[in-house]
Amino acid sequence: MIAEQLAANIIYGLLLGGVYGLATMGLSLIFGVLRVVNVGHGAFIMVGAFTAFWMFTLYSIPPLASIVVAVIVGLAMGFVVFMTIIRRLLDAPELSTLLATFGIGVFIEELSKFFWGPDYVGYSWDIGGISLPFTELPFTKLYAFGSSIVIAALLYVWFSRTKLGKAIRAVVEDKEGAMVCGINVNMVYALSFAIGIALTVTSGVLVTLFTPVGINVYMGGDYTLKAFVIAVLGGLGSPWGAFYAGFIFGLLENGSYTLLGLIPGVEPFGLTRFVSFTALLLILLLKPTGLLGGE
Amino acid sequence: MLKVSKLESGYGEMQVLWGVDLEVKEKSITTVLGPNGAGKSTTLKAIFGIISPWNGMVEYFGEDVTKTPPHKKVEMGITMVPEGRHLFPNMTVEDNLLMGAYLSRAEEKFEDSLELVYTLFPRLKEREEQKAGTLSGGEQQMLAIGRALMTSPNLILMDEPSQGLAPKLVKEVFETIYKLKEEGLTILLVEQNVFSSLDISDYAYVLHEGKIAFGGSVDEIKESEDIKKAYLGV
Repeated sequence: MIAEQLAANIIYGLLLGGVYGLATMGLSLIFGVLRVVNVGHGAFIMVGAFTAFWMFTLYSIPPLASIVVAVIVGLAMGFVVFMTIIRRLLDAPELSTLLATFGIGVFIEELSKFFWGPDYVGYSWDIGGISLPFTELPFTKLYAFGSSIVIAALLYVWFSRTKLGKAIRAVVEDKEGAMVCGINVNMVYALSFAIGIALTVTSGVLVTLFTPVGINVYMGGDYTLKAFVIAVLGGLGSPWGAFYAGFIFGLLENGSYTLLGLIPGVEPFGLTRFVSFTALLLILLLKPTGLLGGE
Repeated sequence: MLKVSKLESGYGEMQVLWGVDLEVKEKSITTVLGPNGAGKSTTLKAIFGIISPWNGMVEYFGEDVTKTPPHKKVEMGITMVPEGRHLFPNMTVEDNLLMGAYLSRAEEKFEDSLELVYTLFPRLKEREEQKAGTLSGGEQQMLAIGRALMTSPNLILMDEPSQGLAPKLVKEVFETIYKLKEEGLTILLVEQNVFSSLDISDYAYVLHEGKIAFGGSVDEIKESEDIKKAYLGV
């Protein structure tokens, strides 16, 4: 019974980990290229969640198709935010970008509340699932996981094969070196920021495939926290490290849920976050550069 | 080809250049000499646009390029071998050279440029697959020059290319720079190594406290004991 429950949680942990990974890649990409910590990260996840919700509710568009919408919305938002705000702050002290991205997050949340209201909403996309001996695995979660893997893989190929992808890596490795090659560093910043936000908004769609309820304008804060833990685990600034670290976090969160449930008198749901952040503290103490290397 | 007039620049609040005037003639090697802190590197950075000029003018073939961003300058045929090389350490030698040919103007000449680089530095061909960060100091300097050549430039700004290299390699670097001139390139060089750079240069400037203290042909400097004593410490 307990073994079965643990097995199910490990599977869910892995599936959810894939989504967590994607939800963190954008944060790590933006930090890696621009050295900007996007404190408003979660707000963009929320926008993705609402994208999936409204597309489904208003137009009956399945969430998988909403990914395309999310990518376009994300690229556009990222570009506008970069051009209007981030671009002016690139040479400013870190506190300025922290405050600015925090402000952007609040602005997006409050604007969303103005249009969409403060209520919790959800949708139900019932497409069945696979029956395993110990659990029922819904297709929605498998799709979320699969999409996350495909998007990460596409991004990897784009980064390693295309000229523009390599130019981004060049800017990360040495900005001045990139300049003498004729790479337009500001264009690379704009593009990376837009891609980072697009990834984040897209992950918001996938988050709703996992949990199609509890969609709310303030849902992002929780994901911001988790994304920070995952980004640090993966070695801040490395999108691929973040993707792998997402799995570790997913396993940690789900695994600890089962194990904590075994302790009498413990309410496991409230404690999973404690376990996750304790793990973060331990890792920072033992290996400050993150589990998977990085800077 | 390049004309710099009354150039002023610096970092943050600190002004380093107080009106630099210099001229670079096509297919020549021009050297800027001067002690540490005189503003040699700053001059090159301000010309290329890594730091912005505060005042004055930079002209390239008569066109005002004072505020032209670096990537546009590369498009126009100006590039730089920066101090400390600034390679992409985790990319292979080949990819570093490939990035040099990033702009489409350079990409069109990719084969020719690569051949030139590998003829000048056969060692780089051997190490094509190796990561740039694992190369020796001398090889890294070759790669930095090679990457600059891949942009298919007319004018190369070189910031202390002999810095940190063993004497034998220093000689090699200066020989290479001379070969580049013979290939028809124009070079604006900034150096601490007075004798070696004067040996290959056509024109030289002496920078002193952010201003040009002397400018002229190399022979003039070599003949003037005063200049050598006062500014170059030799």
